[in-house]
Amino acid sequence: MSAREPLPPGGRESPEGRESPASTGGPVSLRLANGPLAGPVLCRVVSMVLARAACPMNRLDDAMLVCDTLSAHAPAHSGDGHLAYTVTALEHGLELRIGDLAQDGARRLVDDADVPGVGNVLERVADDLRIEPSGRELVLGLSFGASQPQDSAG
Amino acid sequence: MTPNEATVPVEAMTPDMELELDARPENIAIVRHAFGALGEAYGVGAQTLSDIRLAITEACTNVVVHAYPDGAPGPMEVRASLLDDELAVVVRDHGPGIVPRPDSPGLGLGLPLIASLAESVQLGHDDDGATEVRMTFLLSDDTREQS
Repeated sequence: MSAREPLPPGGRESPEGRESPASTGGPVSLRLANGPLAGPVLCRVVSMVLARAACPMNRLDDAMLVCDTLSAHAPAHSGDGHLAYTVTALEHGLELRIGDLAQDGARRLVDDADVPGVGNVLERVADDLRIEPSGRELVLGLSFGASQPQDSAG
Repeated sequence: MTPNEATVPVEAMTPDMELELDARPENIAIVRHAFGALGEAYGVGAQTLSDIRLAITEACTNVVVHAYPDGAPGPMEVRASLLDDELAVVVRDHGPGIVPRPDSPGLGLGLPLIASLAESVQLGHDDDGATEVRMTFLLSDDTREQS
Protein backbone atom coordinates (compact mmCIF):
# COMPACT_ATOMS: atom_id res chain seq x y z
CA MET A 1 0.00 0.00 0.00
CA SER A 2 1.40 3.37 -0.89
CA ALA A 3 0.67 6.64 0.78
CA ARG A 4 -1.09 9.27 -1.21
CA GLU A 5 1.22 11.81 -2.69
CA PRO A 6 0.45 15.40 -1.82
CA LEU A 7 -0.84 17.47 -4.67
CA PRO A 8 1.78 19.78 -6.14
CA PRO A 9 1.00 23.48 -5.91
CA GLY A 10 -1.67 24.24 -8.46
CA GLY A 11 -2.94 20.69 -8.73
CA ARG A 12 -2.07 17.64 -10.76
CA GLU A 13 -1.39 17.68 -14.42
CA SER A 14 -4.35 17.06 -16.62
CA PRO A 15 -4.66 13.75 -18.47
CA GLU A 16 -3.30 15.45 -21.54
CA GLY A 17 -0.03 15.97 -19.71
CA ARG A 18 -0.09 19.73 -19.52
CA GLU A 19 -0.42 21.73 -16.35
CA SER A 20 -4.06 22.40 -15.88
CA PRO A 21 -5.17 26.01 -15.78
CA ALA A 22 -7.31 24.81 -12.89
CA SER A 23 -4.43 25.92 -10.70
CA THR A 24 -6.16 29.28 -10.56
CA GLY A 25 -9.68 28.14 -11.33
CA GLY A 26 -10.25 31.20 -13.48
CA PRO A 27 -11.63 34.52 -12.33
CA VAL A 28 -14.47 34.61 -9.85
CA SER A 29 -17.09 37.24 -10.44
CA LEU A 30 -19.10 38.21 -7.43
CA ARG A 31 -21.93 40.71 -7.24
CA LEU A 32 -23.20 41.58 -3.80
CA ALA A 33 -26.01 43.72 -2.50
CA ASN A 34 -24.97 46.30 0.03
CA GLY A 35 -25.84 44.97 3.43
CA PRO A 36 -24.89 42.15 5.74
CA LEU A 37 -23.58 39.90 2.97
CA ALA A 38 -20.99 42.28 1.63
CA GLY A 39 -18.18 41.70 4.08
CA PRO A 40 -18.49 38.02 4.97
CA VAL A 41 -18.96 36.74 1.44
CA LEU A 42 -16.18 38.86 -0.06
CA CYS A 43 -13.73 37.76 2.62
CA ARG A 44 -14.63 34.09 2.22
CA VAL A 45 -14.35 34.11 -1.53
CA VAL A 46 -11.07 35.99 -1.57
CA SER A 47 -9.59 33.75 1.11
CA MET A 48 -10.60 30.66 -0.83
CA VAL A 49 -9.04 31.93 -4.02
CA LEU A 50 -5.86 32.87 -2.17
CA ALA A 51 -5.65 29.57 -0.36
CA ARG A 52 -5.85 27.75 -3.65
CA ALA A 53 -3.13 29.96 -5.03
CA ALA A 54 -0.80 28.97 -2.17
CA CYS A 55 -0.74 32.49 -0.79
CA PRO A 56 1.52 32.89 2.27
CA MET A 57 -0.16 33.69 5.56
CA ASN A 58 1.11 37.25 5.85
CA ARG A 59 -0.39 38.22 2.51
CA LEU A 60 -3.62 36.39 3.28
CA ASP A 61 -3.85 38.56 6.35
CA ASP A 62 -3.19 41.63 4.22
CA ALA A 63 -5.87 40.58 1.78
CA MET A 64 -8.40 40.22 4.59
CA LEU A 65 -7.53 43.72 5.72
CA VAL A 66 -8.22 44.95 2.22
CA CYS A 67 -11.52 43.07 2.12
CA ASP A 68 -12.57 44.51 5.48
CA THR A 69 -11.70 47.98 4.27
CA LEU A 70 -13.65 47.51 1.07
CA SER A 71 -16.70 46.07 2.77
CA ALA A 72 -16.68 48.92 5.26
CA HIS A 73 -16.38 51.76 2.76
CA ALA A 74 -17.30 50.58 -0.74
CA PRO A 75 -21.08 50.33 -0.23
CA ALA A 76 -21.22 54.09 0.33
CA HIS A 77 -19.90 54.57 -3.19
CA SER A 78 -21.89 51.96 -5.09
CA GLY A 79 -23.92 53.07 -8.05
CA ASP A 80 -27.04 50.95 -7.66
CA GLY A 81 -26.95 49.28 -4.28
CA HIS A 82 -24.72 46.49 -5.49
CA LEU A 83 -20.99 46.09 -5.99
CA ALA A 84 -19.29 43.86 -8.50
CA TYR A 85 -16.04 42.18 -7.55
CA THR A 86 -13.80 40.14 -9.80
CA VAL A 87 -11.20 38.06 -8.02
CA THR A 88 -8.44 36.60 -10.15
CA ALA A 89 -5.58 34.49 -8.86
CA LEU A 90 -2.40 35.16 -10.78
CA GLU A 91 0.79 33.15 -10.77
CA HIS A 92 2.23 35.05 -7.81
CA GLY A 93 -0.54 37.32 -6.75
CA LEU A 94 -4.13 38.35 -6.80
CA GLU A 95 -6.06 40.95 -8.73
CA LEU A 96 -9.22 42.32 -7.19
CA ARG A 97 -11.48 44.56 -9.24
CA ILE A 98 -14.23 46.53 -7.59
CA GLY A 99 -16.80 47.73 -10.06
CA ASP A 100 -20.29 49.19 -10.28
CA LEU A 101 -19.09 52.16 -8.27
CA ALA A 102 -20.73 55.53 -8.62
CA GLN A 103 -19.16 58.30 -10.67
CA ASP A 104 -15.77 59.05 -9.12
CA GLY A 105 -16.54 56.35 -6.57
CA ALA A 106 -13.20 54.62 -7.02
CA ARG A 107 -11.22 57.69 -5.96
CA ARG A 108 -13.55 58.35 -3.06
CA LEU A 109 -13.23 54.76 -1.94
CA VAL A 110 -9.45 55.08 -1.88
CA ASP A 111 -9.75 58.33 0.03
CA ASP A 112 -11.97 56.64 2.61
CA ALA A 113 -9.28 54.05 3.28
CA ASP A 114 -7.11 56.69 4.89
CA VAL A 115 -6.66 55.97 8.59
CA PRO A 116 -5.22 58.78 10.71
CA GLY A 117 -1.85 57.83 12.09
CA VAL A 118 -1.66 54.76 9.91
CA GLY A 119 -1.97 55.98 6.37
CA ASN A 120 -4.03 54.74 3.52
CA VAL A 121 -4.73 51.05 4.05
CA LEU A 122 -5.31 50.25 0.40
CA GLU A 123 -2.24 52.12 -0.78
CA ARG A 124 -0.06 50.56 1.89
CA VAL A 125 -1.18 46.99 1.46
CA ALA A 126 -1.75 46.71 -2.26
CA ASP A 127 1.23 46.46 -4.57
CA ASP A 128 -0.78 47.88 -7.41
CA LEU A 129 -3.65 50.31 -7.16
CA ARG A 130 -5.24 51.97 -10.11
CA ILE A 131 -8.48 53.59 -11.04
CA GLU A 132 -9.93 52.80 -14.44
CA PRO A 133 -10.58 55.81 -16.67
CA SER A 134 -14.31 55.57 -16.07
CA GLY A 135 -13.71 56.37 -12.40
CA ARG A 136 -16.16 53.61 -11.52
CA GLU A 137 -13.75 50.74 -11.15
CA LEU A 138 -10.85 50.24 -8.76
CA VAL A 139 -8.18 47.62 -9.41
CA LEU A 140 -6.01 46.31 -6.60
CA GLY A 141 -3.10 43.95 -6.99
CA LEU A 142 -1.48 41.93 -4.22
CA SER A 143 1.75 40.13 -4.92
CA PHE A 144 3.12 37.22 -2.98
CA GLY A 145 6.01 36.17 -5.13
CA ALA A 146 9.49 35.34 -3.91
CA SER A 147 10.51 38.98 -3.95
CA GLN A 148 7.61 40.00 -1.74
CA PRO A 149 8.80 41.34 1.62
CA GLN A 150 7.63 39.19 4.52
CA ASP A 151 6.47 42.16 6.56
CA SER A 152 4.70 44.02 3.82
CA ALA A 153 2.08 45.54 6.09
CA GLY A 154 4.71 47.22 8.17
CA MET B 1 -40.47 48.59 -0.04
CA THR B 2 -37.29 47.28 -1.58
CA PRO B 3 -37.24 45.47 -4.93
CA ASN B 4 -36.63 42.18 -3.15
CA GLU B 5 -39.87 42.22 -1.25
CA ALA B 6 -42.90 40.12 -1.82
CA THR B 7 -44.61 41.70 -4.80
CA VAL B 8 -41.73 41.02 -7.18
CA PRO B 9 -41.40 37.54 -8.69
CA VAL B 10 -38.21 35.77 -7.71
CA GLU B 11 -36.95 35.62 -11.29
CA ALA B 12 -37.31 39.39 -11.67
CA MET B 13 -35.49 40.27 -8.48
CA THR B 14 -31.98 41.59 -8.33
CA PRO B 15 -30.14 38.87 -6.45
CA ASP B 16 -28.48 39.66 -3.16
CA MET B 17 -25.53 37.55 -4.22
CA GLU B 18 -24.37 36.48 -7.66
CA LEU B 19 -21.38 34.32 -8.40
CA GLU B 20 -20.02 33.51 -11.82
CA LEU B 21 -17.15 31.07 -12.08
CA ASP B 22 -15.75 28.53 -14.46
CA ALA B 23 -17.49 25.20 -14.11
CA ARG B 24 -14.52 23.45 -12.52
CA PRO B 25 -14.61 21.04 -9.59
CA GLU B 26 -12.40 23.22 -7.42
CA ASN B 27 -14.77 26.15 -7.82
CA ILE B 28 -17.59 24.28 -6.11
CA ALA B 29 -15.76 24.87 -2.83
CA ILE B 30 -15.89 28.60 -3.43
CA VAL B 31 -19.65 28.44 -3.89
CA ARG B 32 -19.99 26.39 -0.70
CA HIS B 33 -17.94 28.88 1.26
CA ALA B 34 -19.87 31.81 -0.16
CA PHE B 35 -23.10 30.23 1.03
CA GLY B 36 -21.52 29.51 4.38
CA ALA B 37 -20.84 33.21 4.74
CA LEU B 38 -24.35 34.02 3.53
CA GLY B 39 -25.84 31.70 6.10
CA GLU B 40 -23.81 33.24 8.89
CA ALA B 41 -24.68 36.75 7.78
CA TYR B 42 -28.39 35.93 7.73
CA GLY B 43 -28.27 33.88 10.93
CA VAL B 44 -29.40 30.66 9.27
CA GLY B 45 -29.40 27.66 11.59
CA ALA B 46 -26.68 25.07 11.21
CA GLN B 47 -28.91 22.24 9.94
CA THR B 48 -30.70 24.41 7.42
CA LEU B 49 -27.44 25.86 6.21
CA SER B 50 -26.00 22.40 5.85
CA ASP B 51 -28.99 21.37 3.73
CA ILE B 52 -28.68 24.48 1.59
CA ARG B 53 -24.99 23.96 0.99
CA LEU B 54 -25.47 20.29 0.16
CA ALA B 55 -28.24 21.00 -2.33
CA ILE B 56 -26.22 23.74 -3.99
CA THR B 57 -23.18 21.50 -4.10
CA GLU B 58 -25.23 18.89 -5.93
CA ALA B 59 -26.57 21.44 -8.40
CA CYS B 60 -23.09 22.81 -9.07
CA THR B 61 -21.67 19.32 -9.41
CA ASN B 62 -24.27 18.63 -12.06
CA VAL B 63 -23.05 21.70 -13.93
CA VAL B 64 -19.40 20.64 -13.66
CA VAL B 65 -20.06 17.06 -14.69
CA HIS B 66 -22.79 17.42 -17.28
CA ALA B 67 -23.07 20.93 -18.68
CA TYR B 68 -19.88 21.12 -20.69
CA PRO B 69 -18.91 17.57 -21.57
CA ASP B 70 -16.89 18.26 -24.68
CA GLY B 71 -14.16 20.66 -23.77
CA ALA B 72 -13.19 23.70 -21.83
CA PRO B 73 -15.41 24.55 -18.88
CA GLY B 74 -18.06 27.14 -19.46
CA PRO B 75 -19.61 29.47 -16.95
CA MET B 76 -21.42 28.41 -13.82
CA GLU B 77 -23.67 31.05 -12.31
CA VAL B 78 -25.22 30.97 -8.88
CA ARG B 79 -27.70 33.56 -7.67
CA ALA B 80 -29.25 33.91 -4.26
CA SER B 81 -32.08 36.16 -3.14
CA LEU B 82 -33.56 36.49 0.30
CA LEU B 83 -37.30 36.97 0.31
CA ASP B 84 -38.78 37.31 3.77
CA ASP B 85 -38.10 33.92 5.34
CA GLU B 86 -37.25 32.18 2.10
CA LEU B 87 -33.96 31.86 0.27
CA ALA B 88 -34.23 31.47 -3.49
CA VAL B 89 -31.21 30.06 -5.28
CA VAL B 90 -30.70 29.65 -9.00
CA VAL B 91 -27.84 27.62 -10.44
CA ARG B 92 -27.36 28.31 -14.14
CA ASP B 93 -25.23 27.06 -16.97
CA HIS B 94 -25.08 27.39 -20.72
CA GLY B 95 -24.89 23.72 -21.56
CA PRO B 96 -27.34 21.58 -23.55
CA GLY B 97 -29.83 21.29 -20.73
CA ILE B 98 -30.89 18.49 -18.43
CA VAL B 99 -31.23 15.49 -20.68
CA PRO B 100 -30.87 11.73 -20.16
CA ARG B 101 -27.25 10.70 -20.46
CA PRO B 102 -26.60 6.97 -20.76
CA ASP B 103 -22.87 7.43 -20.20
CA SER B 104 -23.35 9.54 -17.10
CA PRO B 105 -20.55 9.07 -14.58
CA GLY B 106 -22.90 9.89 -11.73
CA LEU B 107 -25.40 7.78 -9.83
CA GLY B 108 -28.37 9.93 -10.70
CA LEU B 109 -28.96 10.93 -7.12
CA GLY B 110 -28.28 14.63 -7.44
CA LEU B 111 -31.67 15.97 -8.40
CA PRO B 112 -33.63 13.67 -6.04
CA LEU B 113 -31.32 14.76 -3.24
CA ILE B 114 -31.90 18.41 -4.08
CA ALA B 115 -35.64 17.78 -4.14
CA SER B 116 -35.50 16.22 -0.70
CA LEU B 117 -33.49 19.09 0.78
CA ALA B 118 -35.19 22.10 -0.79
CA GLU B 119 -38.68 23.42 -0.20
CA SER B 120 -39.20 23.56 -3.96
CA VAL B 121 -37.20 22.78 -7.08
CA GLN B 122 -37.80 23.85 -10.63
CA LEU B 123 -35.80 22.83 -13.67
CA GLY B 124 -35.97 24.89 -16.79
CA HIS B 125 -34.46 27.41 -19.12
CA ASP B 126 -34.11 31.13 -18.95
CA ASP B 127 -35.13 33.37 -21.84
CA ASP B 128 -31.54 33.33 -23.07
CA GLY B 129 -31.47 29.54 -23.16
CA ALA B 130 -29.49 29.04 -19.98
CA THR B 131 -30.30 25.90 -18.05
CA GLU B 132 -31.54 26.69 -14.58
CA VAL B 133 -32.11 24.78 -11.39
CA ARG B 134 -34.23 26.94 -9.13
CA MET B 135 -34.44 26.04 -5.49
CA THR B 136 -36.11 27.62 -2.53
CA PHE B 137 -35.32 27.01 1.12
CA LEU B 138 -37.41 28.01 4.09
CA LEU B 139 -35.61 29.99 6.73
CA SER B 140 -38.24 29.76 9.39
CA ASP B 141 -37.85 31.33 12.78
CA ASP B 142 -36.74 28.10 14.38
CA THR B 143 -33.89 27.73 11.93
CA ARG B 144 -32.53 31.19 12.47
CA GLU B 145 -30.06 31.64 15.23
CA GLN B 146 -30.18 34.60 17.49
CA SER B 147 -27.47 36.95 16.36
